[in-house]
Amino acid sequence: MMADVTDSAPNDSELFREFEHTGDIGIEIDAPTRSELFRRAAIALGAVMVERKTVKASEERHLQIEAVHDIERMHDMLSHLLDLFIVEGFVWRDASVVESDSELKIVLRGESFDPNRHDFRGEVKAITYHQLTVAPDSSGWHARIILDV
Amino acid sequence: MKLTRISEALWEIPQTGEMRVPGRIYASEHMIQDLRDDPALEQVANVACLPGIIGYSLAMPDIHWGYGFPIGGVAAVDAEEGVISPGGVGYDINCGVRLVRTHLQASAIESKVDRLADALFKKIPAGVGSFGAIPGLTVDQLKEVATKGAEWALANGYATRRDLDHTEEGGRLRFADADAITEHAYRRGAKQLGTLGSGNHFLEIGKVDQIYDQKAADALDLEPGSIAVLIHSGSRGLGHQTCDDYLKVIGGAMSQYGIRLPDRQLAAVPIDSSEGRSYIGAMAAAANFAWCNRQVMMHLVEQAFLETLETTPRELSFALIYDVCHNIAKFEEHEFKGRKHRVCVHRKGATRAFAAGNPALPEALRAIGQPVLIPGDMGRYSFVAIGLPGAMRETFGSSCHGAGRVMGRIKAKKAMAGRNLVAELKARGVVVRAHSRGGIAEEMPDAYKDVADVVEVMEIAGVTRRVARLKPMIVIKG
Repeated sequence: MMADVTDSAPNDSELFREFEHTGDIGIEIDAPTRSELFRRAAIALGAVMVERKTVKASEERHLQIEAVHDIERMHDMLSHLLDLFIVEGFVWRDASVVESDSELKIVLRGESFDPNRHDFRGEVKAITYHQLTVAPDSSGWHARIILDV
Repeated sequence: MKLTRISEALWEIPQTGEMRVPGRIYASEHMIQDLRDDPALEQVANVACLPGIIGYSLAMPDIHWGYGFPIGGVAAVDAEEGVISPGGVGYDINCGVRLVRTHLQASAIESKVDRLADALFKKIPAGVGSFGAIPGLTVDQLKEVATKGAEWALANGYATRRDLDHTEEGGRLRFADADAITEHAYRRGAKQLGTLGSGNHFLEIGKVDQIYDQKAADALDLEPGSIAVLIHSGSRGLGHQTCDDYLKVIGGAMSQYGIRLPDRQLAAVPIDSSEGRSYIGAMAAAANFAWCNRQVMMHLVEQAFLETLETTPRELSFALIYDVCHNIAKFEEHEFKGRKHRVCVHRKGATRAFAAGNPALPEALRAIGQPVLIPGDMGRYSFVAIGLPGAMRETFGSSCHGAGRVMGRIKAKKAMAGRNLVAELKARGVVVRAHSRGGIAEEMPDAYKDVADVVEVMEIAGVTRRVARLKPMIVIKG
């Protein structure tokens, strides 16, 4: 199954919402399918760190996550994306996700981080397991993630 | 959550269900009213379920909702039969604070505050999209940092022997195992030695505006009206990744030791297990990186002062008063209910606060007790306190670590909408420079408790006593 998006991507508020956590950042995502849930989560993490509107989708990066269980898959995907920002300085505007039973393939579209041009919102230290939820609900799929900042 | 009042500033969660000990929270009546429906109290009860926990699951008055442990949580577990929990240390292993004194009077820099702020902002990188002071260390070099801690800084010209003497553990945990850190974690730390980070990390230049204990202030060489420097940072990406790596290892290994806990983020294994020993070695190595990081930043701050103020090292007299860690697990000996225990004290957003006479303190400070550094928000003040005998009796030698958030980040951003916090703080005499937009609004002063209230609770409880208060003049945020 594949979830894709073009440059006419919806606003952040249509993809995810932040919920209040006293010290850190909580994000909640609803999506019609599981792959769309992962795609929105990937975009949300990038948007928490850098204002997406300031990022050009001029390069692609490909990632593959092998975890089978949904919780691990979400944690590992977001941790790898965090790495991409911190170690390689890559920021993304949008993403595509293809999932199978054994893996998750992610394509990110963005560019190298430039502190003079990109609106940096703040660093995320880690993707926590605290109350991490990935589950189907009556309208599709739901995720709840707390980011340590 | 049922709470019983034990004394003026101490409340107890009775032992029920899977809890092995009661929970105890240091707080004023006003603070406890705000906490009653807070998830942090449930987290205190969850920590009380850890195998081997001794006495109480403790929380300091700056308690707030964390993940697994509450922020402000302290748990002492039996060193032989207890467990180690990476969640009890946190992602930012050895996040901590150092306080530097100078012999400069605040009046001497008043006309140069903006220039000094610009110089500091340029000199101290946040760490995203920029290199630290020491760019691109190899894995072998990083392993040396992780093994030697602040001693690496000494060997490379970023520290003096005196700096190390005034750092908790001398800036080096000798049981560090640099090979227990993954290459992945080293990659994340490679460019970050000498960087501040974002979130609640900061560099603050302030003045000593009030002395509460003259004898202790004299011993610490804190003069009224003088300039002091606070640096709050940790082990950066190297530490964050180390915690993440071991949460996975330990989370997966728990069941083989028959350990079940109410929150995955509390994942724990026996201290005396291969996974436990490995994490402890890795945690100590990340802690060493953090001490080196703060030491390198201190050196950069001194350079910025010397260059901007065109003064001499002798006139500036830039000297470390103390460096404390507030996210760590340490092996210590404590007496509880008349029995001596060797324990592993998890301090998650809590500061060691040893009383006078403790042999772990440097000779110059042993007569007065350990300095406890308690930063407040960026608009009000921070405190320097000292550990008292009450800390040794009641809290396994621990105290608070800051003001503690009361307002979430969304609420803070909403409260700041349409306001210019930088201009508001400037009007209050605080010059702010920030690398990230979010860093300012979310860290607004009203998002935190008044740190004076937090420090007062610890004083009422006989855990720490105030020595001095510092007022911010310049704040650099990541």
